[in-house]
Amino acid sequence: MFRSFRAGLTIGLAVAVLVAAAAVAYELYDTRTLKRTIRRGEVFCGVNKGLPGFSIPDDNGNWSGFDVDFCRAVAAAIFDDPSKAKFIPLDANERFRELQSRKVDILSRNSTWDMSREENYDLYFPAVAYYDGQGFMLPRSRNIDSALGLDGSKVCVQASTTTALNLADYFKANNMKYEEVRFPQLEQAVKAYQDGQCDTFTADISQLYALRLNMPKPEDNVILPDVISKEPLAPVVRQRDDDWMMIVKWTLYAMINAEELGVTSKNIDEALQSKKPDVMRLVGNEGTYGEDLGLTKDWAVRIIRHVGNYGEVYERNIGEGSKLKIPRGLNQLWNNGGIQYAPPIR
Amino acid sequence: MTKLRQLAWMSLAAVGLLFSASGSYAQSQDPGDQPGLVADDSFELDPEWQKQVVLYRTTEPPGTIIISTAERHLYLIQPGGRALRYGIGVGRDGFQWQGLLSISNKKEWPDWTPPPEMIARQPYLPRFMAGGPGNPLGARAMYLGTTVYRIHGTNQPWTIGTKISSGCFRLVNADVADLYDRVPVGTKVIVKQKPEL
Repeated sequence: MFRSFRAGLTIGLAVAVLVAAAAVAYELYDTRTLKRTIRRGEVFCGVNKGLPGFSIPDDNGNWSGFDVDFCRAVAAAIFDDPSKAKFIPLDANERFRELQSRKVDILSRNSTWDMSREENYDLYFPAVAYYDGQGFMLPRSRNIDSALGLDGSKVCVQASTTTALNLADYFKANNMKYEEVRFPQLEQAVKAYQDGQCDTFTADISQLYALRLNMPKPEDNVILPDVISKEPLAPVVRQRDDDWMMIVKWTLYAMINAEELGVTSKNIDEALQSKKPDVMRLVGNEGTYGEDLGLTKDWAVRIIRHVGNYGEVYERNIGEGSKLKIPRGLNQLWNNGGIQYAPPIR
Repeated sequence: MTKLRQLAWMSLAAVGLLFSASGSYAQSQDPGDQPGLVADDSFELDPEWQKQVVLYRTTEPPGTIIISTAERHLYLIQPGGRALRYGIGVGRDGFQWQGLLSISNKKEWPDWTPPPEMIARQPYLPRFMAGGPGNPLGARAMYLGTTVYRIHGTNQPWTIGTKISSGCFRLVNADVADLYDRVPVGTKVIVKQKPEL
């Protein structure tokens, strides 16, 4: 009797340990991010520690920004609740490895999409959320409205960055002369520009708008509309998890399509009554697009109702409704002067 | 000799008169007394509505005007993927429209004759108002095809960026005068509305 009790206990313990180990292994090695996310009840988003307009926490730890809102849109699509997104600040140099090691489900952290990043880290950038690029800031009093008018300028730039290389390429390609004033730190370059050591200052356009906010007289400086380099900022996911990649990609495309169709967080209930085929497919009154993604048929309605369409998110965080006031430029819809374009839902 | 002296006195008086006149002008800056002067009213605008060069890609040729009713912006297409963007006031809900037209006529300090359908809706409007700083059409008007709609100035700069008109597009006077000098009669005007649900 005693003996069989001990044996039973041993077997029971062994089974328990095996089950626990299997559960841990399942949790660690299950590569299906959607399943993991649903089990956990939260989307883990890797974000920038603090970049005004894109992702920044307030004193109470509430996050806001363009990148933050995109992650909330993914959470809204899955859970019908944008607060089911948890934000994990990541450094620039650790972000891709942290995504690879499954510390986060998605990186929504002003990351430029390029070929080497997809190849070297086994990652995938599903779609471009924001077309950034290098531009120029100069004193309004110089009265120049095109980068082609910068011939002979002294240009402040941060040394040993792609920014400095792009600058050289642009002036060479357009047969213009310039004098480069290099600084190891971005802050030093900005200060030198403000002290009048240069005629113009160059950096990514979103950065120029953020830096201009902190200048004593922002309105005395203009940022030219010219974009001289390609910095497509995109969310990032792991390769070989197509179901998850599809959800991230079509969340963004649903937001862009909603703007193009005139569907906003304010008129979403009206849109649900629409008889226009494009709108009916977007809001799930025609087809099974949401179910085919592994979500519900009202997946896009959830995104638009809780977070808004692409234009609303843009204006609120970085556009005219924000402090940054970055003109839509390249990020305007393709039929409205920009290049932001989503494949149709059909 | 007397003639010469007379001439000297007269020219001195004339110079004196000129000085006193310019002096009194400096004291009372009344734009109403300077026909044709377009005061710079654009400084009253928020940055979003101020004239600026923006990136704008389109297949329309430079010189075309594209009006985005939803955005409350008027774009004058420039070469090289850019446009001059002006802030505008647009029609109230229900008074917005879209289509392709061209500028059929241009007028400085236009008179205002509200069309009959506008009088029917707003009977308190004047039947005729001579052009000038107090006129709601402002400093310039560009007629759109054979319609009653115009691109015009305003005596109410604070209405830029709003939906307030009966279908016309209004700019501040400084901007409308700037646009007026850039576009000839025959300019293509494309009006875009936000999509219907």
